[in-house]
Amino acid sequence: MTNTVLNENLPTDGDTSLRVETRFGEFEADRRNLIDFPSGLPGFEQCRHFVIMSSLSMAPLQCLHAVDGAPASFLVIDPRVALPGYRCVLSAPDRLRLRAEEDSTLLWLALVTLGENGPAHVNLRAPVVINPAGMVGFQVMPHDSLYPVRHPLCVE
Amino acid sequence: MLVITRKRNEAIIIGHGIEVRVLRVGRDGVRLGVTAPASIPVHRTEIYDMVSTENRAAADGVASPAILADWLRRQIAQAGQ
Repeated sequence: MTNTVLNENLPTDGDTSLRVETRFGEFEADRRNLIDFPSGLPGFEQCRHFVIMSSLSMAPLQCLHAVDGAPASFLVIDPRVALPGYRCVLSAPDRLRLRAEEDSTLLWLALVTLGENGPAHVNLRAPVVINPAGMVGFQVMPHDSLYPVRHPLCVE
Repeated sequence: MLVITRKRNEAIIIGHGIEVRVLRVGRDGVRLGVTAPASIPVHRTEIYDMVSTENRAAADGVASPAILADWLRRQIAQAGQ
């Protein structure tokens, strides 16, 4: 597994390696890849730092893993892969919270819920958005979104 | 819980810079205006709770993602053809 984004804002002196235990295995991460979530995630308000883990066997899914607060690993997917044509617009205050410009490239991730034997669902109502330039992210909850919290992500 | 009576156009201040003002009082609802710094997210409680519940379910999943990942890759390959 490798980290997909790099946090250049954190000090790099000393040991930057980080042991990460996820539901999907144990991995080595780099502290420079930590993404700040100033408000955590709803239900996981104490989780303020996350890493994104990717692997070929898991693609196009990735793992969004909290390195502090309650143990939390989320499977995530690009919402446009889950639903072609998916669109989510950031409000001006949300853009400001991300320290993003109008033309900033943002990383969008939708949280996946795996049923034990049933179908998987993806939360298109409240995607996570990350500004890779600032290594900061949060879960967006647009007031007027018509996308469902549980959009079926079917397996034959 | 702190309980305060407010009339239309009256407000309360929470901490520094968060103001909640009563804009309209109707038969079925009260319209509130919230002024807060951009760093303070404001959400309807039921939406925050719904997302919170879904996040906990997402974090608690025990099934292996391998089958789903494999299925998704095949869907993407088919769509690309």
